[in-house]
Amino acid sequence: MKNVIGRWFSIVGLLCLAFVSTAAQQKPIVLRGGKLLTVSHGVIEHGVLVMENGKITAVGAEGSTAIPKNARVVDLKGMTVYPGLIDSETNLGLTEISAEDMTNDLVELSEEIMPHMHVYDAFHAESELIPVTRLNGITNAIVAPESKDTLPGQDSFVQLSGKSANEMLMIRDIAMPLNFTGDQRRNQSREKRKYPSTRMGMAAQLRQAFLDAQDYQQHWADYEKKKNEAAAKTDDKDKKLPTQPKRDLKLEALLPYLAGQKPIILAAEEPSDLESAVNLAREFNLKFVLNHVSHSQPVLDYIAQLKVPVIVGPIYETPKPYERFDAVYSLPGELNKRGVKIAFASFDAHNARNLPYQAGFATAFGLPYDDALKAITLNAAEIWGVADKLGSLDVGKTANVVVATGDPLDVKTDVKQVFIGGQEIPMTSRQTRLRDQYSGQ
Amino acid sequence: MNRVPICVILLSLWTAAALAQSTNHNEIVIKNAIVMTVTHGTISNGSVYVKDGKIAAVGKDVSVPSGATVVDAGGKYLTPGLIDSHSHIALDDDVNEATSPITPQMMMIDAFDYQDKAIYRVLAGGVTTSLLLHGSANMIGGQAVVIKHKYGMNRDAMLFPGAPQSIKFASGENPKRVYGSRDQLPSTRMGNFEVQREALVSAQDYMREWDDYNAKVKRGDKDVTPPKRDLKLDALADVLRGKLLVQIHCYRADELLTEMAMAKEFGYKLRAFHHALEAYKVADQLAANGIGIATFSDWWGYKQEAWDAIPWNAVMCMRKGVRVAIKSDSDDFARRLNQEAGKTMRYGGATEDEALRMITLNAAWIIGVDDRVGSIDVGKDADLVIWDGYPLSSSAVPNKVFIEGDVYFDRSLPGFGMPHYREGE
Repeated sequence: MKNVIGRWFSIVGLLCLAFVSTAAQQKPIVLRGGKLLTVSHGVIEHGVLVMENGKITAVGAEGSTAIPKNARVVDLKGMTVYPGLIDSETNLGLTEISAEDMTNDLVELSEEIMPHMHVYDAFHAESELIPVTRLNGITNAIVAPESKDTLPGQDSFVQLSGKSANEMLMIRDIAMPLNFTGDQRRNQSREKRKYPSTRMGMAAQLRQAFLDAQDYQQHWADYEKKKNEAAAKTDDKDKKLPTQPKRDLKLEALLPYLAGQKPIILAAEEPSDLESAVNLAREFNLKFVLNHVSHSQPVLDYIAQLKVPVIVGPIYETPKPYERFDAVYSLPGELNKRGVKIAFASFDAHNARNLPYQAGFATAFGLPYDDALKAITLNAAEIWGVADKLGSLDVGKTANVVVATGDPLDVKTDVKQVFIGGQEIPMTSRQTRLRDQYSGQ
Repeated sequence: MNRVPICVILLSLWTAAALAQSTNHNEIVIKNAIVMTVTHGTISNGSVYVKDGKIAAVGKDVSVPSGATVVDAGGKYLTPGLIDSHSHIALDDDVNEATSPITPQMMMIDAFDYQDKAIYRVLAGGVTTSLLLHGSANMIGGQAVVIKHKYGMNRDAMLFPGAPQSIKFASGENPKRVYGSRDQLPSTRMGNFEVQREALVSAQDYMREWDDYNAKVKRGDKDVTPPKRDLKLDALADVLRGKLLVQIHCYRADELLTEMAMAKEFGYKLRAFHHALEAYKVADQLAANGIGIATFSDWWGYKQEAWDAIPWNAVMCMRKGVRVAIKSDSDDFARRLNQEAGKTMRYGGATEDEALRMITLNAAWIIGVDDRVGSIDVGKDADLVIWDGYPLSSSAVPNKVFIEGDVYFDRSLPGFGMPHYREGE
């Protein structure tokens, strides 16, 4: 039996290898003459970038960078080349048409504490939204459930190309959102009101969930201890095994977060919510990244001293009536100035392609250009623990590379070619097909 | 920013406020600007002379009359004030009278909340004129109000004087959903159009009654009693008489065609289709009928009828001869119409003038005020924006916004950046 399984595994392994090798890039590709925005080490005006076996194998100035003999050389004079962009929160793959319920798998609303929901179980690799998004140079994204629950489930980190969901889901359960903005209250109407209908309720329910998980963990630890003790007994009579506790998927899902192995993505908008959420996270020693902080201008220094990254925005969030018109627009600049590591997110699916314009807009409100570009590339890669593979044009990284007519942060720039894992992505989507179909009219 | 003594700021605030509260007797020259006129190209190192709220001269050589205030634009871009041809701001929750599919007697001015801060936030994005429309729950909704974003002034000062009256129609999913979910008519597109046709037929009957009555009066018949006035039918009669600009919320190509056919059947004209995300499929027909569109740059997929939306729609329609405006339909997009217009340069290759026209002159045409605003031309209202950065980009933001020659927004000012408004006053 063991042998059969072993053989089966090796066949599967071979199949996987064959699959990967056909999917991977064959011949080295050289992008020559373009302006390289490396993100990690400045701008190379007339650069050369070599991609081989899905990785970047050389980055340098034209003339001083060797070009492999058998390579396909693409001339890119006048073009701009930059790393694939990373969107730090989307609902990609969980929605198709917003108003059509059957095309949405955004969030489970039956309960508020749903850490055992995994977006990878719903991720729709064939979504028409994915080609639309990557056509604008976005190659990677966090897929998160919608924020209507305090604990709506766990995020996955995806690559926006691949033959199947398995290929695209790079890191499953990479992080867990904890939403504390007030929108998670169940108080929409007097008739539908239920617990938790207040922020006190939200906090109490969260606290209870983490306590239950700690308790659950203790039960298992006790069980393991008793089991080991029993095993150590010499007399068979004393080897009575303890009863195994029942598995609870919900509480189990919370354990890696209680252990600080993975980050909680802590969403709050106003200062009071932010402080409540941070206090709660600290109570249970959770490792966390902040999310939104849209109306927290009065507590920027407090945020800075927490020394955690912030997924900022969307900066298009409408200011409160008492706030100046640019109170949210200027947030990335203000946080960056205080040394906070920021990343942008679209917090969207259909409009995820517009991620770079948020970064561009923030430059009009005090965010230096280089930091704006970093906030959709390298900073995001660092926050998500993938900076060894993504986020900059550096040797050894995955060849997620974008070729465009100019400044990646500007609305006028046209993206000409996207490479993901060194593969030329077809620059087509449902939208380009409709355009072409009706252009001859 | 240069440090200016606070008393000077206060004095200039007071002066500006005093001038604005009077009758636009201002005289200013904005010089040293890259003037994007919309109608006659871009003038580098240009000047604009404003007198009594109107543009009095534009060009490279504009003399500065003694007594005129000089505003040095510092080499920045100057555009006309932007125009949003589809907005629902400043209406609180009163956008839709969703209790009947035919409500042409609703007047948006009755819900206009002139103190809504959204007017300010949109002003800070360079918009000086907006068309505030009824929502899209009803096949025939209410009548719009056109405002100038003079935030801090009283209600009447914010109304666009003499702007023609627009009326909102809608079709497709929204009316279907609103009434269908209550088991009422309409719940299908057949129902939608039947309800609309029925209303127009009753307006024809009503008009005939009045015509008969008027004819009898004219003949000297003294015993005749006038028909009962009906506000709803009055409004529909105004549609049929061509007194109202008809603005139709409509997505699908087949519905664009049906609305055009119905207009022909009843003899009224359509001004513009709004959203019109499938207009690219029937652009020839729209152009032939002289109907404009007010569309999004790239919004899509939020409902079934927005599934075939493509970001090339605006430019594809424009190339077929359709007057195209980019509008907001959103408190958010309204604050950055310039970026949205910039996208048309990428999707389809609109020129700078063409892109800017979509958020100025073409939008003004849709509202029916293109003889008054929408370009930097002599005789037009001095609604102007000085920009930090190139306007049709991601990173541009208005530095100063003028309406009829007065500064209503100045980014360099503390607080809200408004000379005419301070919190708590």
